[in-house]
Amino acid sequence: MPNRLSPLLSAALFCVVSSVQASEELTIYTHPSFASEWGPGPAITEAFEEQCDCQVNLVALDSGGDILQRLRLEGSSSSADLVLGLDTGTMETARQTGLLAPHDIDLSALTLPVDWSDSLFVPYDWGYFAFVYNTEQLPTPPASLDDLINAPDDLKIIIQDPRTSTPGLGLLLWMRSVYGDQAPEKWVKLKNKILTTTKSWSDGYFSLFMNGEAPMILSYSTSPAYHMAIDKTDQYQAVQFEEGHYLQVEVAALVEASEHKALGRKFLEFMLTRDFQRHIPLKNVMYPATDLGAELPGVFSKLIQPETTLYFDPAEVASNRSRWLNEWLDAMTR
Amino acid sequence: MAGRHDPVMHPPLSHPGWQTWPGAVFAMGILGLSLSGLGALIWQSPGVDITSLWHSSYLRGVIAFSFSQATLSVALSLFAAIPVARALDRHRNFAGRSLLLRLMELSLVLPTIVAISGLVAIYGRQGWLTPIISYLAPALDWNLYGLSGIVLAHVFFNAPLAARILLQSFENMPSQQRKLASQLGLGSLWLWRTIEWPAIRGILPGLAGLIFTLCFTSFAIVMTLGGGPSATTLEVAIYQALRFEFDFGRAALLALVQLLVCGSLWWVVVRHNTNAALMPNRVSQEHPSRRDSTGISHITDSLMLLFFSAFLVLPLAAIIWRGLPGLWDGQVSLLLPATLRSFAIALPAGALSVIVALLIVTASGSTRSRIISRLCDIAAHFPLIIPAIVMGTGLFLLLRPSLGTRYDGFALVALINALMALPFIVHLLRGPLQGLDGDTLKVADQLNIRGWYRWRWLHWPRLRKPLALSMAYGTALSLGDFGVIALFGTPAQPTLPVLLYQQLGSYQIASAAGTGLWIIALLLANFGMFNLLGRSPRLKESNHA
Repeated sequence: MPNRLSPLLSAALFCVVSSVQASEELTIYTHPSFASEWGPGPAITEAFEEQCDCQVNLVALDSGGDILQRLRLEGSSSSADLVLGLDTGTMETARQTGLLAPHDIDLSALTLPVDWSDSLFVPYDWGYFAFVYNTEQLPTPPASLDDLINAPDDLKIIIQDPRTSTPGLGLLLWMRSVYGDQAPEKWVKLKNKILTTTKSWSDGYFSLFMNGEAPMILSYSTSPAYHMAIDKTDQYQAVQFEEGHYLQVEVAALVEASEHKALGRKFLEFMLTRDFQRHIPLKNVMYPATDLGAELPGVFSKLIQPETTLYFDPAEVASNRSRWLNEWLDAMTR
Repeated sequence: MAGRHDPVMHPPLSHPGWQTWPGAVFAMGILGLSLSGLGALIWQSPGVDITSLWHSSYLRGVIAFSFSQATLSVALSLFAAIPVARALDRHRNFAGRSLLLRLMELSLVLPTIVAISGLVAIYGRQGWLTPIISYLAPALDWNLYGLSGIVLAHVFFNAPLAARILLQSFENMPSQQRKLASQLGLGSLWLWRTIEWPAIRGILPGLAGLIFTLCFTSFAIVMTLGGGPSATTLEVAIYQALRFEFDFGRAALLALVQLLVCGSLWWVVVRHNTNAALMPNRVSQEHPSRRDSTGISHITDSLMLLFFSAFLVLPLAAIIWRGLPGLWDGQVSLLLPATLRSFAIALPAGALSVIVALLIVTASGSTRSRIISRLCDIAAHFPLIIPAIVMGTGLFLLLRPSLGTRYDGFALVALINALMALPFIVHLLRGPLQGLDGDTLKVADQLNIRGWYRWRWLHWPRLRKPLALSMAYGTALSLGDFGVIALFGTPAQPTLPVLLYQQLGSYQIASAAGTGLWIIALLLANFGMFNLLGRSPRLKESNHA
């Protein structure tokens, strides 16, 4: 989900745990847009507190990478009971730290486009990376990744940098999963269409795309849902590519050092119920991880429905990421 | 005065040690803090592969690119700043001068994402000015994205800062010389050679070094407007190493490389920059009118100032245009508490920064020890070169066991913000503080005007304005900062920049634009307020801004 705030944030940070409380406390590291006024955080916290006799503390760190960073820095003295907001790109690194505990909960309610049986990570939402376009500037967008790559150079797109941004890394993996070893050559051809490569999703979406600088931007297939449901405009739509779309799954996990593991597991179970999931579609602007039935907002039926789901095993991403990044750098600076 | 005949009377704080040691201690503290932050990173990393740096063509490319864009940005910023500062010095009474000065102060502290949005709206592919530029100069083949955009943005941020600092030096030119020049009827060129150039020669290298470092370490601007990964600074690689690769060692090494490049530049600057160039200086409040402020130069000056104002105002106008709808949209209940929180961090940060800067500049000017003087100079610029993200992570590693409450977090944010503002404030204060000439000091010594009294009666009247401006900069830099606050801030209680990014992350594009506008209005009010406070009571009616 597109928060990935941006600038220099990253690394370290502060624990904001209010001290002494009567009931049990559950501290969750997450990212700011989840915890913000407009995110699902407040409503979900309230719903869980009603049934748990506990207090939920959301500590917002800038991104999945920062959540992981903070966890590593704190090691076994971490005050987090749960981390929420890692994704398929950061999962494997998180697993290797050995700081997370098995969830031991039933995952049968999940309705992801891929099978999921991970013992550490529980998905809470998912989405496809997609190019969102401005229908007024671009009446007929390219119908496939191939069409985009072979389009005339006056078609301009905005992407994010895979070195600093999650969707940016998503596009790198997308290209890789479609073209394999040919990916670097395809990047060279795509290069002239790229107006600029921003540091974060926000930089590109706010400063450039919504200013009309380019008709297409790398984003999520669910982005138009927000524009249609809240902004009441059909002007921004995602393009469906024939080759399929790359999948992102956002996950939560229990921290090994937690003294509230039972409560943490309860939260993970709660995460897969409707009381949690109903806040995902319009507040996190992603697909819910379980079937919401009629509660899924109507605009979601107007979104693109990719025929093929592209997805690398997180372990494969972890072992190849730096090589693929270097190939991308080479291709782009060639 | 009785002091000469009464050997037991010592004015408060008059021991020479008071001038040197507090500043020196702070300087050492800053260096120690920064270096131990770096050290903590290296110490926490399993192994550091130094040779990888030497062999990386990527890294060489990054440094070469950073170097060229920064050099170009410095040259163009100063090229624009010097004539603008001269023109502003010549013309002290035109309508809107004060507002123009406030705008010049504003540009440096604008939150990057808001400023970029304004620049894009003017010079981007759909920009207001782009068709005009293409029509007037088709050969230019204007394209914002690439080196041109990076340099344009850097000039937008830094030229006004440079002009503001230069103007302050011009204003400190001794009035006797001005009077003499006026009586002799010196023309523009002569004035430049005999008075103006000597007045700024001493601060130009330092100013160039300051802008170079800002551009060399620039991050989001370079990425957004650079067009692609060939436009990358070291800061990007540091961010990548820390956030994606969790490679503390590499991050610390890259930070050291940055330190080395910018540090050697500073060394060159400091070596060739003797403060002897600063002119003897007494009261500089009265300014005889300048002969070269009329006639043909009047027209060219007016045109140039008009041009420069448009350069600053147009992007701001675009931000206002875009932000107004979101501002009306009933988000006052969010903005007000966030504003209070922001000021609660920014005012202490600004005050701390000003105090430390004063002590450091005093120490560096008064000590006879070259080592202490150098130490102060280095410490004053260190925070500019060490990336905040590296400092933040290092400090977190160091202080982790003793950190607990949210107030610690806020205090640390204020501390790091204060450090970030230090280099700018040192530049603003150095000239006015060290500008007292030997004769004045000798007389003051004879009259026993030392210690606190010297500060109160000699320095304070001269420092009132620069101090107010420094306080304004210190507060504003902290108000608009997102980097550090996001490292330590909390979601339930966003400060203004955090609120802005939360809105962006939640697709609240219109509200985010409104918040951006609100931040700018506050920054402007902040500069206006401190400007009023800085006016000396006697001069309230005069037109000096």
